[in-house]
Amino acid sequence: MKTLKKTWPLHLMLLPAMIFLIVFSFIPMGGIVMAFQDYKPWLGIGGSEWVGLDNFRYLFEREDSVQVIWNTLIIAILKLVFNLVVPFVFAILLNEVRKTALQRGIQTLVYLPHFLSWVILGGILIDLLATGGLVNRTLGFFGFGPYFFLGDNDLFRFTVVLSDIWKEFGYSTIIFLAALAGIDPSQYEAAEIDGATRLKQTLHITIPSLIPILMVVGTLALGNVLNAGFDQIFNLYNPLVYEKGDIIDTFVYRTAILNGEMGFGTAVGLFKSMISMVLILISYRLAYKWAGYRIF
Amino acid sequence: MKAISGKRWLPLLAAGAMLATTLAGCSGGGKTEESAAGSAPNVENAYKEKYDPPVTISTAWGVDPALTFKNGETIENSVATKWAKEQFGIEIKSLWSVTDTNGAFGTKLRLAMSSGQDMPDLLTIGTADNQIAQDLIDSGMYEEVGPLFDKYASDTWKEAMNQDPNVWNAYTRNGKKMGIPVLDYAYNHDYLLWIRQDWLDKLNLKAPKTIDEMEKVMDAFKNRNPDGLSPDQVVPLSIGFKTSMNTWMGDPSWIFGAYGTLPQQWNLGEDGKLAYGSTDPATKEGLQKLSGWLAKGYIPQEAALWDENKTAEPAVAGTAGMIPGPYWMSGWPLKDTVQNAPNAVWTPIEIPVGPEGKTMRHGTQFTNGVTLIKKGMEHPEAFFTYQNYLFDNYANPEPGSPYDNGLFAGYDYQLDANGKQLPIEEIDGGYVNVVRYLLVRDGARIPDAQMKALQSLAEGNEPKTKLEKDVAVNYGPETPAAAQVLLKQDDISYKNMFTGPTTETMKSKMDYLNKMENQTFNEIIYGKKPADAFDEFVSTWKAGGGDQITQEVNAWYDEVKP
Amino acid sequence: MYHKTKGYRIFSVLNTCFLIFLAVLCIIPLIHVLAVSFSAKAAADANLVGLWPVGFSLEAYKKTAANPLFLHSLWVSVLRTVVGTAVTLLITFLAAYALSKENSVFKGRDVYSWLFVFSMIFNGGLVPFYIVIQKLGLINSFWVLVLPGAVNTFLVILMLNFFRGIPKELEEASLIDGAGHFRTLFSIFLPISLPSIATVALFSMVFHWNSWFDGLLYLNNAKDFPLATFLQTVIIQQDMSSMSMNPKEMELISQTTVKAAQIFIGSAPILIVYPFLQKYFVKGMTVGSVKG
Repeated sequence: MKTLKKTWPLHLMLLPAMIFLIVFSFIPMGGIVMAFQDYKPWLGIGGSEWVGLDNFRYLFEREDSVQVIWNTLIIAILKLVFNLVVPFVFAILLNEVRKTALQRGIQTLVYLPHFLSWVILGGILIDLLATGGLVNRTLGFFGFGPYFFLGDNDLFRFTVVLSDIWKEFGYSTIIFLAALAGIDPSQYEAAEIDGATRLKQTLHITIPSLIPILMVVGTLALGNVLNAGFDQIFNLYNPLVYEKGDIIDTFVYRTAILNGEMGFGTAVGLFKSMISMVLILISYRLAYKWAGYRIF
Repeated sequence: MKAISGKRWLPLLAAGAMLATTLAGCSGGGKTEESAAGSAPNVENAYKEKYDPPVTISTAWGVDPALTFKNGETIENSVATKWAKEQFGIEIKSLWSVTDTNGAFGTKLRLAMSSGQDMPDLLTIGTADNQIAQDLIDSGMYEEVGPLFDKYASDTWKEAMNQDPNVWNAYTRNGKKMGIPVLDYAYNHDYLLWIRQDWLDKLNLKAPKTIDEMEKVMDAFKNRNPDGLSPDQVVPLSIGFKTSMNTWMGDPSWIFGAYGTLPQQWNLGEDGKLAYGSTDPATKEGLQKLSGWLAKGYIPQEAALWDENKTAEPAVAGTAGMIPGPYWMSGWPLKDTVQNAPNAVWTPIEIPVGPEGKTMRHGTQFTNGVTLIKKGMEHPEAFFTYQNYLFDNYANPEPGSPYDNGLFAGYDYQLDANGKQLPIEEIDGGYVNVVRYLLVRDGARIPDAQMKALQSLAEGNEPKTKLEKDVAVNYGPETPAAAQVLLKQDDISYKNMFTGPTTETMKSKMDYLNKMENQTFNEIIYGKKPADAFDEFVSTWKAGGGDQITQEVNAWYDEVKP
Repeated sequence: MYHKTKGYRIFSVLNTCFLIFLAVLCIIPLIHVLAVSFSAKAAADANLVGLWPVGFSLEAYKKTAANPLFLHSLWVSVLRTVVGTAVTLLITFLAAYALSKENSVFKGRDVYSWLFVFSMIFNGGLVPFYIVIQKLGLINSFWVLVLPGAVNTFLVILMLNFFRGIPKELEEASLIDGAGHFRTLFSIFLPISLPSIATVALFSMVFHWNSWFDGLLYLNNAKDFPLATFLQTVIIQQDMSSMSMNPKEMELISQTTVKAAQIFIGSAPILIVYPFLQKYFVKGMTVGSVKG
């Protein structure tokens, strides 16, 4: 009774968000049942035929199912890891630039590619990475290459992951920079008095202070563990690299979206959500157990 | 983390279940449409030139992103809807519209059905959204149009439709015609070969007639380039196959045609059956040829990454020697080449002949979409009033018709003080492609009319009719000559003969088969696999559902073939 | 002082060079787009433009400025971004405060936070979502751009982590003074949280600025499109093989330089926002920081 009195304003504060979640998220979740239907738009959710797990079977029983899921996982996990590590390191390095104007200038420039869509960047990359393009000419100057970055199964994933980091790391750095600015300066002052080198300060003060936010961002990123980046792959892939480059989303695009197979599309979505949910649960528990930190 | 107790989740689950039922209840409205159908009253002699009181036709629009509007108009309320009201007493009611990019029109149609919205009386759907058109036919919401067409369509329209009886195939179910094909100009993107005449002249070479001669020309273009370009700068033949081996610009399908098949489409065999071109042995020879050309640098090294527009880039830059493409390419994009390479002269030539005298190219369908009429529509004949008028007076009228210069003054044409047509750039407030405002996109087209007009111009006649004036103004000065080159080979154009709905096996297998096909073909071209990988592909294709698909395709064809 | 040691100086110089090199790599695409937008059409169509305009021309900008649809969609985007961010901020601020309480203080907190996460992971797809939008009468309404995306779980969680860094004593003092949660939130938390609000605002603004799918699907009239949707209709290539083409139309569709100009002008406003907000990231983050 006592706690309730004290907490009703908290419930009230959550009310607007909850209303939005119910209306725009939980009510539409009813549509998940489409995953178990041969959904026909003119019959609707109420009238379409129930097909059990047929849609899921189609995802797993194709000749190339394993390959596609594997490609997705590899590309997505590489992206996930590097899109945490690179911005993290970049933020720390940028923090060492002592001229504020220069620091802000660099920060603003690296944030730019985030705002160009993959349609545009894809076109630019095809030219830059062509066998006679700028990158290969530069590499050739040092005696390497030429490499067929976008048409070689061995290089395609590497190219995709690298170009994704190039596009996104500046934007992802923002969170870490915000966290960096929050570190209590007195900690550094104390370390200075103890005679700690800058490297030691970084290892013992800066990095530990950033770990919680790293865990938060990392855990939430697990929600995308089966999203390898449709827009990017769709604009860059080609028949030469299907073997290593075809991912769940491009496959769903060709089979479900173009043909209006909404039941199948929903089933794939549900599969991806369940995997994400499990991983987030695990990650949440581990963070709590090992770091004593509750992410949300 | 404290375990979340089951009790706390219960209300949520209950709510979820409730919501699911609510959703189920409010969707699937299509069913009511179905039951209301059948009983549609078909009034005798309802057809009128003008309706008084006005009748209503409801529709939904997928608006071309490039379409512009002026005078504050919208697709719902435009000069064309006003015209329909005044001219025919037809009120055009828009249920909704959507800018059609990223497949938005198809998506919106599916969503409209899913949410049980009223479906429009009349829908025109382009071939890009063929699947949704087929779905709509299967939904049972739309009427059999065959009898309506026979009863109400004008002779001009019927004759136009008869130019290729196959146009109905895609929309026929159990012998019933379920949708009216939207006619388009014939040969519009049948391709020919554009070649740099100035390079040929400087090298004292003649336009190649065979694949062998072509190789010599390509070699000369590359290694003895008349403009002094170094070999690695020249693209002797600009083609690409990122999306398909069978397309409209920078297309490689004729290279296979030289050996007797067209890949990635269904061809009619001598036995009267349809067969998939990609599995024909001739395809192997085409692949080997392409592979050799790639190794020698005759085609772009990045061809597997190039789509249609990309193949135009070296052509415009002045570094390409040849590019396959439509007869109207001198109007776009090739006319800009001179700005980058001042001496450039592009000439259209015929598609070269293979070693055994064979030539084939991909042919354009005479139709680019379908019009569907809803069951229970009150005045289906009103649509024919509208469309007959366009076919009789707009499609290819004799000189002196009110639409001699175009559809609406101040939109797609404007006359100066002397009654002469102004160049379209000078229209007050800008040119608007106003035919796209009509119920059927592009208004009314008679398939062979455009080629006839071009031929008349090519023979040196002054443009007289509306269509002749149109091609003279809009298609660039060299186009009539190119059209003649194209027509010299009109017997080598082969259309994809399968236009029906996706078959059962296609649904589950086709994507994988296509993927395997594209992969194998590209790997052979790039020398990553020997040409014999093709045979392996064929047997896997057949065993992996291809034979089944071939059977289904032929069953369909037997049913619809005229 | 560490930054006076020789080793650190060498590091500092190398580090700065390396970061400048990265920054240069990152502006290449934008410079290319800019160069194309200032080039002559024929050169751009032939893909002859690298990082410097070929055949300098302002034509593309003249055409863009003369396009009423473009200018209006720019306005719609600004409006949606401002209104959308304001709504998101308010909701996020309230929710994150409540969720930042310990489970012992606020029973049921865990249920709420899992609901948020659940909503982020699972979704029912387009069909039921569209039905909801339609039943609410949001089709063709400006609010369809603002309301459905108003709650973003990622931002709520980010902000709640920022709030956890605020010293407990501040809050307790306020509560003991007899202030309720609302007063504590607005008079104690708000003033010292401006930096974290700036962070969340930036993410929210970028989200709103870049969203295009909602506009395309829920707004019938191209006149009401936000800029991102407008650009999408410009950038995406149509499936030509199924269209009846003629040279005049192709010319209209393939305006490389105009597209480049529109892309550049379209991203300029959101690019300018960031340097402006940077002030907040450095100053005062001490209080609203993530707790180590």
